[in-house]
Amino acid sequence: MHADHLITQAREGDRVAQGKLMQVWYKRIYNFSYKFFYDHDLAMEAAQKTFISMHRNIGYLQDAGRFRSWLYTIAVNCCREELRKIKNDKSISMHALKHGKEEKSQTWEAAKERNENPEQVLRQVELTDLLQGCLMQLSEEQREVVIMKEYEGLKFREIAEALNISENTVKSRMYYGLEALKRMLERRNINKETFDYE
Amino acid sequence: MIMNNKPDESKLVAYCYGELDARETEMVEQYLANHPDERKRMEEWAFTLRVMNSLTDKEVIPPPIFLGDEVQQRSFWKERYFRMTMGIAASFLFLLVAARILGLSVTYSQGAMVIGFGNRQRQPVISPAQLTEERVNQLITSSIENNNGKIKASLNESRESLEQSIQKNLNTNSAKIDRYIQNTSGVSQEQVRKFVAQLQNDNLTLMKDYMQRSSTGQKEYIETLMVDFSKYLEEQRRQDLQLFQVRMTNIEENTDQFKQETSQLLTALINPGNQGNTTRRN
Repeated sequence: MHADHLITQAREGDRVAQGKLMQVWYKRIYNFSYKFFYDHDLAMEAAQKTFISMHRNIGYLQDAGRFRSWLYTIAVNCCREELRKIKNDKSISMHALKHGKEEKSQTWEAAKERNENPEQVLRQVELTDLLQGCLMQLSEEQREVVIMKEYEGLKFREIAEALNISENTVKSRMYYGLEALKRMLERRNINKETFDYE
Repeated sequence: MIMNNKPDESKLVAYCYGELDARETEMVEQYLANHPDERKRMEEWAFTLRVMNSLTDKEVIPPPIFLGDEVQQRSFWKERYFRMTMGIAASFLFLLVAARILGLSVTYSQGAMVIGFGNRQRQPVISPAQLTEERVNQLITSSIENNNGKIKASLNESRESLEQSIQKNLNTNSAKIDRYIQNTSGVSQEQVRKFVAQLQNDNLTLMKDYMQRSSTGQKEYIETLMVDFSKYLEEQRRQDLQLFQVRMTNIEENTDQFKQETSQLLTALINPGNQGNTTRRN
């Protein structure tokens, strides 16, 4: 079924169409949230809240062409809400969001079950943890923009719509986010030689 | 040609993601061709993005989320429009009850709106239909008569008050004049003569005193003047003597010099040979 047609039907209250939209977009929204939190439970929570909100409010969506940015607006708001809850909850330390040991990381746990080559898996786990750690060191605003642009493939215009800011602000955040990531990789001695060798 | 238009950070980022139009892309590429350091930075960004792309997506199965029944299960009274309508109705009812308790009355008559609280006392109003021309004339006449009576009474009162004030002032001034006349008529001729004689004596004494003081002052002044004049003469004489002495000294010096020059001339005339020998030796 054509995406615009699906969105139109969902706007008209078709629950089947809404369910299909969720099936199509769930992975994207989950991965956006996961990269934002680097935590499976929080990502699941934010993704589910995003689709509940989508179901409630899709009737108010005026332009089907803006569905993607609209959905990411909801996702960003849900992620921010979850982050606020974590910060307000004194019993959970912010250390819970930072994963130090690769063997305990969720990537490692998932890979173990697939019986892949342990060396390759370990290298991938290390790299994933390192890159995710770099992402987590960015400010929230930069992290949102970098994930949306680099991993979700949104246009700068769509990101500006989703975050309700100007396109120049999005590009500026991306610029400083990229500079920060570049410096972090340099500090971790990841350059062309070491990266291509692996 | 070196391009000076440095693209800002937004353009660089957009170039990195290929979101510039053809003209802007060409401009940025020209700039990068002339600025190797910026080109290197772009390459570093590209590498950073390549590394970051190693972060892959996680596979996830969408959980079953039961959607849809909520709409039907929503109660009628939970509908937004119903709640808004009920809210307006409740506010209106509250206003009515409050108006009833406070005795609010709003009336509009003769182009004026009146809002009041409590019981309102109604004033008798004569409707224009009950007024005839004769009645109006009577009202005007009675009003004018009433007004004239009041003005007359006021004028009489003012006049009486003024007359009383004038009479009072006249009485006061007459009493004062009578008292002065009585005081003046009580003085005898003898007393007047004594007063004049006393006055003459006082004047005479004053004149004597004045003349005495004046002659003493003049004498002192002349004495001072004479002393000053003698001092002046003495000083003048001393200065003249000094001048004379100086001139005499000058004459004496000139005479000595003349004598000396004369003797030198005579010596030169008497011994011309010595001077010529001396000149040749030099």
